[in-house]
Amino acid sequence: MSETVNVTFVADDDVRTAVTVATGSHLLDASREAELEVIATCGGRGRCRSCRTKVLRGAVPPPTIMDEVQLGPDEVHEGFRLSCQTRAIADCEIMLAPPTSEGGHKLLGSEGDITGRTGIDLDSGVVKHLVTAKIPTEEHEQTSDIEEILTAIGGDGPGTMAMDLLRDLPEVLRKEKGTVTVTTFNGTIIDIEPGDTTAHKYGLAFDIGTTSIVGSLVDLNTGEQLAAMGDVNPQAVYGGDLMSRLAFAQFSPQSLRKLRSRVVKAVSDQIKEGCDEAGIDPAHVYKVVVVGNTAMHHIFLGIDPTYVGLAPYSPTMRNAIELPSAELLLKVIPRARVCFLPIVAGFVGADTMGAVLATRIDESDEIRVVVDIGTNGEVVMGRRGKLMACSAPAGPALEGAQIRHGMRGAVGAIEKVEIGDDVTCDVIGNAPPIGICGSGLIDAVAKMLDAGVLHPSGRFHLKDRETLPPKLAMRLIAGGTGKGEFVLARADESGKDEDITLTQVDIRQLQLAKGAIYAGVLMLQRIMEVPDDDIAEVQMAGGFGNYINIESAVRIHLLPALPLEKITYVGNAAALGAQMALVSERERNRANDIAREIEHVSLAARPDFQDIFMEALCFPGDENVELLASAQTG
Amino acid sequence: MTTPTLKIPEGWEGRAPDGWDWVPLWEAIEQGGHIFTDEFVRGAIDAGINPRVILDDGLFPGFNLQGDRFTEQIIFIPEMLITARAMKAGLALIRPLLAANDEKPLGIFVMGTVLGDMHDIGQSIVTIMLENAGFEITNLGTDVHPDRFIETAMEQKADLVGFSALLSTTVYYQKVTIEEFEKAGHRGKVNILIGGAPTTQEWANEIGADGWGKDAIAAVNLAKDLIAKNREAWA
Repeated sequence: MSETVNVTFVADDDVRTAVTVATGSHLLDASREAELEVIATCGGRGRCRSCRTKVLRGAVPPPTIMDEVQLGPDEVHEGFRLSCQTRAIADCEIMLAPPTSEGGHKLLGSEGDITGRTGIDLDSGVVKHLVTAKIPTEEHEQTSDIEEILTAIGGDGPGTMAMDLLRDLPEVLRKEKGTVTVTTFNGTIIDIEPGDTTAHKYGLAFDIGTTSIVGSLVDLNTGEQLAAMGDVNPQAVYGGDLMSRLAFAQFSPQSLRKLRSRVVKAVSDQIKEGCDEAGIDPAHVYKVVVVGNTAMHHIFLGIDPTYVGLAPYSPTMRNAIELPSAELLLKVIPRARVCFLPIVAGFVGADTMGAVLATRIDESDEIRVVVDIGTNGEVVMGRRGKLMACSAPAGPALEGAQIRHGMRGAVGAIEKVEIGDDVTCDVIGNAPPIGICGSGLIDAVAKMLDAGVLHPSGRFHLKDRETLPPKLAMRLIAGGTGKGEFVLARADESGKDEDITLTQVDIRQLQLAKGAIYAGVLMLQRIMEVPDDDIAEVQMAGGFGNYINIESAVRIHLLPALPLEKITYVGNAAALGAQMALVSERERNRANDIAREIEHVSLAARPDFQDIFMEALCFPGDENVELLASAQTG
Repeated sequence: MTTPTLKIPEGWEGRAPDGWDWVPLWEAIEQGGHIFTDEFVRGAIDAGINPRVILDDGLFPGFNLQGDRFTEQIIFIPEMLITARAMKAGLALIRPLLAANDEKPLGIFVMGTVLGDMHDIGQSIVTIMLENAGFEITNLGTDVHPDRFIETAMEQKADLVGFSALLSTTVYYQKVTIEEFEKAGHRGKVNILIGGAPTTQEWANEIGADGWGKDAIAAVNLAKDLIAKNREAWA
């Protein structure tokens, strides 16, 4: 056997990428070698189907048990393999099986004037002073260039001014006969340019999520949003969920460097994209506000996140910080100061802080709840002077991952389901469906419960399906597993050559996800002694795209059973909070006060968590809930 | 898939007084009726039925049926848990009687969640299931240091030790704990089982565990098999 083999990857647009790797390398590693973006949601452990490929030519070893489990015997027979499980043993040609990338991500941005939308005053802390400084002429009573500038702007000292500004100063000052625009951030000089550039003052807000990164470019003179950016987090190739990502970085400086360089590149690319779109010079970006969960925050800063993943999950730092862009390797915006919002705890990060800022529950006189749904769900409950937060390990099911036909909210995803005598689905982009996204999953399960397809325990009503309307009965099939599958779209209606179904295992994944979040709400309600009636409002946040059926979210007990008018969907509140802190220093400082106020509750450490979680796993109307309550583990 | 069915114990009709009917108890266990189970088992004890017979003919059939359904992923964790709790209610009455009859536990098991992991939920369900199956079990709780696993296992003369890890970041400590057992020279004295959502058989092989349970039922079966194997080796 030769020591190396040639692997050729064929993408769905027929682009071929060849790479030479050591014999026995996993195809997933080979694809990384070839710099291809193969998403391995489970971190390459053979526990999902996201990295599946098809062998077009050449010999590969027999399928592993995980190939069989994830892909089923039919697909394995057709040459499909999980790239994380399959080793290259001879030259081969491998098709990256669709969908490897989902074009047109529908990530919720927000449009228009931020100050107008949020009612806050423009107070970004970035000030541009147009001054004409005296060019030193007197040799006897000597001053200096910088002293003349400080005199002109009325400042008292150079602060922690960057050295390179001083290096350029002699020429800058003399170019327009002493007329310069001096930019300060909270009093510190961060830029000096020749001539009048006061019209150009921009900022960026970023929400760095485990799954996706969204950014917006804002005119700091007007508060207007000039561009909105969004893409998947390219770190996902090293593990789709937060814990696999942390496991990858654990005790490995090289892995941390890989993760960091990916986020730096993604953010830099988005900055370039946004500035190009708005037609502005990135050198005129002066302030950046970043939110993100603790792990993403640490990785972006180059801080080892190992201990965030180990009890007691403590972060290295919690306080808000402000750094020059060079510290973050963001060469594209040389003049910017980058501000990170504070962190509450290992799993209640700066993103939660952004959501609290945006929803203003810290200023409410009544009890309000913010539920931020992501790979980790965060719940914040309380009112002015009393806030509690917890993190619920929901897993990625609500984002469409680890669901057999799950996908992100992109074109082709079922996002809405109606069930009457038969099933009708709304698909993003009105395309033939190729999968189902998180909001579609929530809606489908709610409607399946209503229609009697699902028992409140979450079990398919396979046995007595003849009691269902005939068309629904036909859709409820035993499926490959024999445990029941419900066909949402038949192969002939779908955009792939197979039925789009929800399996019994998918339903269980959803139950685990929604159960974790609902248990978080129930736990805070119990600790704070807040009955349902005392909750004035539940604000549901998260990147659910443009559509989420709140009634369905309540129907499946993802959220507490409150009157629907008390529940609002606020979209990506973390990103909005970052924008607010961008345009307003008052808001950014408010985050520090809030961070000190929020009390963190560790769900896993609570002895009563198991009972609450079991109750939360069930759907409403499940008689098991009563039994669970009456027979708690003593 | 084989549809799980009720396995009726052989010769059960002859082992209880004439006219005695276990079916309501089977159903109560299946449906998690812990109050009914408690009352019914008290009645059976008062009727003078041998506690071993109450266990084998009265409690296990419903429990095993649900266990099989859980393994086949037909029922979910809450349903398995209520059955386990009903079983526990019955067992609480039976166990002292079994001990008085000099019945030995099936095996001695030390259980815990590894260092760095605060998650209790998986291992506490496994603990109930092992108890119900007749093991004597010491549960060390969560965030357990390898030294504590070793000390307790040696003190209790444990047959089996179980390490649970619920996070991708803490499975690492399953490996570390096994290595510590080796360093201390005690690895050969116990069988080590691992489990938890991020774990796989492959991982178990890699770190040299004696077994991996995909769920609580699998863990119980694995524990029973290992005990049986050990007995054979001794015989």
